[in-house]
Amino acid sequence: MNSFKLEIVTPTEINEVENASYVRCPATDGSFGIMKGHREAVIALGVGEIKITEEGKDSYFATSGGVAEISKDKVQFLLETIEVANDIDSDRAKASMQRSKDRLSNKKDNDINRAELSLLKALNRLKVSSR
Amino acid sequence: MANLKDIRDRIKSVKSIQKVTKAMKMVAAAKMRRAQDNMEKARPYSRSLSDIIQNLLPDVDRELLPLLEVREVNRIAYVVVTSDKGLAGSFNSSALRKAQNEIDEFGKDNVDIFCIGKKARDYFKPRKYNIIESHIDFWSDLNFNHAVSIGNNIINHFISGKVDEIRVVFNEFINVATQMVLTEKFVPLEFDSEGSNIADRLYEPSKDAIVKSLVPRHLNVQMWKYLLESYASEQAARMVAMENATSNSEDMIKDLQLEFNKARQASITTEMLEIVSGAEALKG
Repeated sequence: MNSFKLEIVTPTEINEVENASYVRCPATDGSFGIMKGHREAVIALGVGEIKITEEGKDSYFATSGGVAEISKDKVQFLLETIEVANDIDSDRAKASMQRSKDRLSNKKDNDINRAELSLLKALNRLKVSSR
Repeated sequence: MANLKDIRDRIKSVKSIQKVTKAMKMVAAAKMRRAQDNMEKARPYSRSLSDIIQNLLPDVDRELLPLLEVREVNRIAYVVVTSDKGLAGSFNSSALRKAQNEIDEFGKDNVDIFCIGKKARDYFKPRKYNIIESHIDFWSDLNFNHAVSIGNNIINHFISGKVDEIRVVFNEFINVATQMVLTEKFVPLEFDSEGSNIADRLYEPSKDAIVKSLVPRHLNVQMWKYLLESYASEQAARMVAMENATSNSEDMIKDLQLEFNKARQASITTEMLEIVSGAEALKG
């Protein structure tokens, strides 16, 4: 079997995918894929979409970033948040996108980094929820 | 001698207080279990994260990140974690006492305070301590985002150079009967240097970048841990306090009941004496 064990660990829960055959995840400089036998690595993840293929079925998730640790026997994702595509509240994501856009256009607001990050997260969640 | 009605009223009021303490005990027990659950769930994430950082840190330039910068300590900030509500035994008072002792030792004027929970704010505010921020009214729906937003403000206080060190005073949950007040250094981050044990490993995009993105996340989960420990301790302390209150009221009811019975018997005896002596008088 060309599958491996994937552990998704967040501060509030742990999920395990026993037979993942392919995982695509958002590194900070572009997506990359993991299959069985990947060399050991530690990879920083950014805001983006995670695609997990398990027994021929694809599922999509939105994450706000973290790190992937690939070792010989398993792959571990340490993520601050992860949301299943179906669970995403697209209205809320739209509202938060609007909010961050307003904040960005308002020059007085000096916390531009934070507004940009939240815009990025909102856009990502919208993208994943439309899957 | 107290009269019968007074004693009966007291028994009634003690009984109704007992009902309240019993209910509070059960609520606290349920909340504590949930908090313990959350603590268990946060542990693997926090452990793996600090493992990775610890592995990388020896190979990384500490000047890379302001959060790792060790400065001469002239001014510090204390984060005091307490609850919003009382009736939890010595939970709040012992944390506040420890915090105040340490702050006074360092010099009240050189310390900024972040108050978590109403009790800390209500304690330090009238005493004219230098409070930067208070976070209250979030315990009832505590979630990870609270930890992140509280942590962010505190970390910014350090990064902007207003203080050189940040310490957290909180109750550590050891078990239901024991909670210990601890002071931990929050930033600058200190890790025991330990060389990386896995040599042939790919780091993408680079070791520096990974540490840079993981350190803030590590602090977020650290803050989350403090909040959870404190919340579990609060509920445990309240549970024990209410348990004691319930058993004390049990004793009180017993004593009052005894007193009531004595008074009742005394009044019957008096009445009988009166009847007998009345009958005697009639006989002439």
